[in-house]
Amino acid sequence: MFYVSIFFQYASQYMKTRLQYRSDLVVELFSDFLFQAVNLIFILVVFGHTTLLSGWSQEEIIFIYGFFLVPYAIFSSFFNIWDFNDRYIVKGEMDRVLTRPIHSLFQIIIERMELESMFGVITGIAIMFYAGSQLGLTISWYDPFMFLLMVAGGSLIYAGIFIILASISFWSDSRTDIMPMMYNIGNYGRYPVDIYNQVIRYVLTWILPFAFVGVYPAAFFLGRDEWYMYAFLTPVMGLIFISISVFAWNEGVKRYRGAGN
Amino acid sequence: MNVIEVHGLKKQFKSYSSRKGLGGAFRDLLTRNYTILNAVDDITLNVKQGEMVAYIGENGAGKSTTIKMLTGILTPTAGEVRVNGMDPHKQREAFVRTIGVVFGQRSQLWWDIAVQESFRLLKKVYRLSDEHYDTHMKEVIDTLEIEPLLDKPVRKLSLGQRMRCELAAALIHNPPLLFLDEPTIGLDVLVKMKIREFLKEINRKYKTTILLTTHDLSDIEALCERVVLLDEGKIIYDGALDKLQQNWVEGKQVHFEFQKPVEKNALIELTADFPVKWRAGDKMRGWQATVDGDDDTVSKLMAKVMSHYSISDVKLNQVSTEEIIRNIYEEGMRHG
Amino acid sequence: MVSRMSMYLEMLRIRFLMMLAYRTNYYSGILIYSINIGAYYFLWQAIYGGQESIQDLSIVQMTTYVAIAWMARAFYFNNIDREIAQEIQEGKVAVEMIRPYNYLGMKTMQGLGEGLFRLLFFSVPGMVIVWLVFPISFSNDLSIWGLFFISLMFSFIVNTQINLITGILTFFLLYNTGLIRAKRVVIDLFSGLLLPISFYPMWAQDIMTFLPFQAISYIPSMIFTEGFTGGEVYSALLLQLMWSVILFVPITLLWMSARRRLIVQGG
Repeated sequence: MFYVSIFFQYASQYMKTRLQYRSDLVVELFSDFLFQAVNLIFILVVFGHTTLLSGWSQEEIIFIYGFFLVPYAIFSSFFNIWDFNDRYIVKGEMDRVLTRPIHSLFQIIIERMELESMFGVITGIAIMFYAGSQLGLTISWYDPFMFLLMVAGGSLIYAGIFIILASISFWSDSRTDIMPMMYNIGNYGRYPVDIYNQVIRYVLTWILPFAFVGVYPAAFFLGRDEWYMYAFLTPVMGLIFISISVFAWNEGVKRYRGAGN
Repeated sequence: MNVIEVHGLKKQFKSYSSRKGLGGAFRDLLTRNYTILNAVDDITLNVKQGEMVAYIGENGAGKSTTIKMLTGILTPTAGEVRVNGMDPHKQREAFVRTIGVVFGQRSQLWWDIAVQESFRLLKKVYRLSDEHYDTHMKEVIDTLEIEPLLDKPVRKLSLGQRMRCELAAALIHNPPLLFLDEPTIGLDVLVKMKIREFLKEINRKYKTTILLTTHDLSDIEALCERVVLLDEGKIIYDGALDKLQQNWVEGKQVHFEFQKPVEKNALIELTADFPVKWRAGDKMRGWQATVDGDDDTVSKLMAKVMSHYSISDVKLNQVSTEEIIRNIYEEGMRHG
Repeated sequence: MVSRMSMYLEMLRIRFLMMLAYRTNYYSGILIYSINIGAYYFLWQAIYGGQESIQDLSIVQMTTYVAIAWMARAFYFNNIDREIAQEIQEGKVAVEMIRPYNYLGMKTMQGLGEGLFRLLFFSVPGMVIVWLVFPISFSNDLSIWGLFFISLMFSFIVNTQINLITGILTFFLLYNTGLIRAKRVVIDLFSGLLLPISFYPMWAQDIMTFLPFQAISYIPSMIFTEGFTGGEVYSALLLQLMWSVILFVPITLLWMSARRRLIVQGG
């Protein structure tokens, strides 16, 4: 309860600050939108030269992309920790975080939130509706609940992976550019994993399970029952990954060396 | 009652060293050399409630590392720490509610929002009631005279203004123990005095225990009766400030200003019989003698020097705290 | 002149050493780039399906294109826009201005140091790994290699110039994260990193001719895969040269007015 009220406190402060720099806010919304469009353009251009991608149609791929945008938007609103090492470890901001009576990871999440990224949820749902209507999909009573469950699972997977990567900073003093590059890898979960070979499919399913943020859960709504098993695993994988990541974080904090050493 | 109880505290850092040149850098890609540094080496320390303790030492002596272990930021490599009856790192979230921390070079406040908003956020963070906040904070704000700053964003404040707000923020929950890391760094004399007055005031009123690190020895002279001196991770002196002064020298400092340039060796040779140390003075052709002896010795020394050289000016001073500490670092505790 | 040159070279060397020091970065980088190339290879295979060629590019050429585009990116890519923005926000630029060197020149040199490091220790070994795993064709015509490296140098110049512009704009915008992100997205798409420009519909290609972005990735990659032949290569190089000259104009203007702003307002 306390954490919820703290969250809203920070959120309202965040909005006040953000509105001070309105022009940057507009540019940022625009760049988010652009980012979403770029991937859509990629799909459209590619399907200008082919009709099927390993048996998946253009609308299906677009639907997967639409689904992906929702957990991704939630992730990017709250887990802006790609520069954790620079911002908190090298600059010593972690010292300050650790002198406050709130769990350190939670503090960083609320300090770094970027609520405007939530617009991606709208874009994503709009794209899903568009592609879904093209495909003639129907909505059952349980679909909205499944959707929430899948989105939660996907967001937790994304968050888990990035928290684990951020936790590495506690062990290794080196600056890493892994996180920005990881954003690229996250994209590959948006394509049907059967186009990849065994190794990459394995990586995207079990090691960096980005496939659970795109194709697997989306396959459920597309009625592709050969993937149902994986689709239902989405929330489970989410819980596993977030648990591992929080554990890694807590262990990491014990090893924190402080700034300027 | 002891607020801080530390026994056999140690902190080791593994630090990597790079090999020289390009070739060395390639070898670093495969294996790396590292050395173990004992930043804090077997420290035992007790602080009672209401004490104001200065924790001093050169850069890298281990001050900050100790403070960070006492505040729960770092985990100790070995040793026991109890602060406010808790283990700072294991019970971190409950523990930090009983302390206040100010890092002189790092802001606790939110850069972009008004000071007031920062306070309000902290009030939530520390789960304070409205009554507590209204009465206690009003006092703090009044004493620090920051009322007019409350609606300004932190980035628009001057360093002195910001520092006063930082102090207020650290005291928002009226903690019984306050850690200050270089609280007066870069501030002008007036602000420094204001801050010192305030610290004395809360110490008197709430019996707040204060542990501070500083490079500014006038802070210590103004505030602390007790000094803990740290060198290479070890405590080399723990006791009263005036005792440190007494122990070190009953002697005096004599500043000579010669009319012609004089060699240090010549001075040493001339005064070989005296317990004296020479150091180049601030002025041109100036030399400074620290004499470790009674008044008689001092006057004899002066007579001897003046009979050999022409002097344009002489001054006689008590040895300052700064001087004492500098001497301790250069030679270790001879008199302790 | 000589001493100034040696000062810039020293900055380049320092940055190079700094990169070497971050070894986790190094190992993980190779791994991640390989995964990137691998994923795109399979994606393109699926896109080609059974087709022999799309837009005159065979599947082998396409694979080579993807591989070289990513490896070239390791060279021209840098974060100096973000660094400049940060230094401006923290007020460090004012200090940099009084140092006896050209701030932008120094940033460029740092970028070059980083780029050379990645080219030698990252792209070259990475390319060997990729070549072992995927069907890639290297030209045995030495002149192609020569032209590719010239073109790559221009990629670096154009990309760095765009980064400088984005960085300097922080002076005027105060907050700049949005613009930097938008720039990155635009470059990924319009530079030809994700898709060869020739895959776009005609009207889009026409628009892109008027933008500097294809000078960054499309041109060197097409030269390397021999997608450009004969005169096309030289006109492409000429285009790159043209953009590197043109972009100097906005940089100079922005920098001059930024300095004036700095002097007047003290940052």
